[in-house]
Amino acid sequence: MKHYRITVNGTSYDVTVEELGASKYVPATSGASTPTSAAPSVAGPATAPEAAPQPASAQSVPAKPAASAANGGSVTTVKSPMPGTVVAFKVIVGQKVKRGDVLLLLEAMKMENEIVAPQDGTVVALRVAASAAVNTGDALVDLA
Amino acid sequence: MEEKLRELEERRAKVLAGGGPKRVTAQHEKGKMTARERIEMLLDPGTFVELDAFVKHRATELGMDKIDAPGEGVVTGYGTVNGRNVCVFAQDFTVIGGSLGQMHAAKICKVMDLAVKIGCPLIGINDSGGARIQEGVDALSGYGEIFYRNTCASGVIPQISVIMGPCAGGAVYSPALTDFVFMTEGTSNMFITGPQVIKAVTGEEVSAEDLGGARVHSEISGVAHFSFPDEQSTIEAIRKLLSYLPQNNVEDPPFIDVGDDPNRIDDSLAALMPDSPNKPYDVRDIIGRLVDSSDFFEVQPNYAKNIVTGFARLAGRSIGIIANQPRYLAGVLDINASDKASHFIRFCDAFNIPLLTLADTAGYMPGVGQEHGGVIRHGAKLLYAYSEATVPKLTVILRKAYGGAYIAMCSRHLGADQVFAWPTAEIAVMGPEGAANIIFKKEIEEAPDPATMRQDKIEEYKRSFANPYMAAARGYVDDVIDPAHTRMRLCNALNALLGKRQSTPSRKHGNIPV
Repeated sequence: MKHYRITVNGTSYDVTVEELGASKYVPATSGASTPTSAAPSVAGPATAPEAAPQPASAQSVPAKPAASAANGGSVTTVKSPMPGTVVAFKVIVGQKVKRGDVLLLLEAMKMENEIVAPQDGTVVALRVAASAAVNTGDALVDLA
Repeated sequence: MEEKLRELEERRAKVLAGGGPKRVTAQHEKGKMTARERIEMLLDPGTFVELDAFVKHRATELGMDKIDAPGEGVVTGYGTVNGRNVCVFAQDFTVIGGSLGQMHAAKICKVMDLAVKIGCPLIGINDSGGARIQEGVDALSGYGEIFYRNTCASGVIPQISVIMGPCAGGAVYSPALTDFVFMTEGTSNMFITGPQVIKAVTGEEVSAEDLGGARVHSEISGVAHFSFPDEQSTIEAIRKLLSYLPQNNVEDPPFIDVGDDPNRIDDSLAALMPDSPNKPYDVRDIIGRLVDSSDFFEVQPNYAKNIVTGFARLAGRSIGIIANQPRYLAGVLDINASDKASHFIRFCDAFNIPLLTLADTAGYMPGVGQEHGGVIRHGAKLLYAYSEATVPKLTVILRKAYGGAYIAMCSRHLGADQVFAWPTAEIAVMGPEGAANIIFKKEIEEAPDPATMRQDKIEEYKRSFANPYMAAARGYVDDVIDPAHTRMRLCNALNALLGKRQSTPSRKHGNIPV
């Protein structure tokens, strides 16, 4: 197991990469090496191990690691930047999104904050229910 | 005589050639200009006057006696930017890697002293492999002498650092002590300990770019204030920044009238504010409509985006703007936003640049991370910086101004000279929902229908408190204004306040909570 922290568009994601062995899983893009991983094949989904909450302190867009993670087929988890309540999802599972598209509205600090996609991708999972209360660092949406 | 002139010519040509054609080509291949090319581009054409071209190092140990370093690896001098004096030094990576030795540092110190003496901005272009190891403690003394001068010059002349190559170890602290740090993407790095040391000590593998590239410092660490894709755009931005700044702390910023009517009324401003207080908007749209020619020069645009800082002009006069950004993290105040804004406010105050604050924030960010990170200590900097500032201070409360954040965003209580509020302003100890729950806890609990009672009480609270009139009734807000008139009122107020003089008790210096 390898743990990576990837920060995209102001939100940091904790990504766990597990080596399953080449016999079990062959990446669709065969031969594509993944710079972020020491393993020859990479499998999701990303989990969010008790991340030290990274509130506004991490605001970055090093697009490179994020992009390479996506190429490697791993999943990026969009996390809540602050404590609040999910008002509504603006996407459904399977939907393709572009960087900057609104994923959901998070009511926090008396504001309906638009939580946007940190990168292009496909929505793999909605990790919480609408109207759920979330804390800083809680997983909201998985993108692949 | 002729022979002596020829010798002079030869000697100068050697210095001008720097590290020679091969190293210059290598520099160009990396997408980097040479020290002299950078200075040429920064200054008005033909105005550069070089100092200390013939300085040589004094080291003899470890083979240094055989090494010739034309110009000692740094070009120093003065010239003008838009007709105004500046002092400049640029490290020359083509000459023994731009490494810093005793005489290299002495050249830098000399031009720093000159900048302070004549009271003009100092621009330092960093592109150096670090301390010249062969010179041992003499190289360290060089860094120390520069840090000391950076500190002494702080608040006296604007100091701008430009990172256009490696800047590692002790070298990073001179830029850190200056007012603004510019970085060029892809070619510049800043770190205390580099990737190799980190790998050896902690086992972490990281590239120089991911450790301390322009993106990292302009988005995560906040070390850099500006980053640009190439050297040319970086230098253009430095020239633009200088246009807002005075030459020194006893001068006023330049007056540049672009012909934008100070009395311009903008009916579209009101429409920029969403009807629902819970909807975000981009405060930079509002700034754009208030300032001259919509020209806003944002400082640290990608760091702590929940607060916006930058320079603009009102009726030709430079102002520093601090604005909550509802579009990002609901515009809350947090550790990084407090640091970012305090640094900016103190710069403006030191250099006689009036402050305009646009407030719309629900408060400080809640969370264990923030509390443990010292949001009390960092948030206090904002209070300190605003209270300490004696330049004209104008505040417009656009919408939310709750609790401690109301006080912190340059309220009357911290010495604002003019406080305006839009009719949408909500100035209160806390938001209606939370307040109603506390004040009317008993009534709500005992009501036959608690939900309806709660809603009634929230409405009651909104009517009584979630507006600007309570604050205006106390005189904390000078006037509630039509958004369309904001520019006119601000230009008027700024004009009226130009003669502001505020004296503070004599003291060595305050003790800002760092």
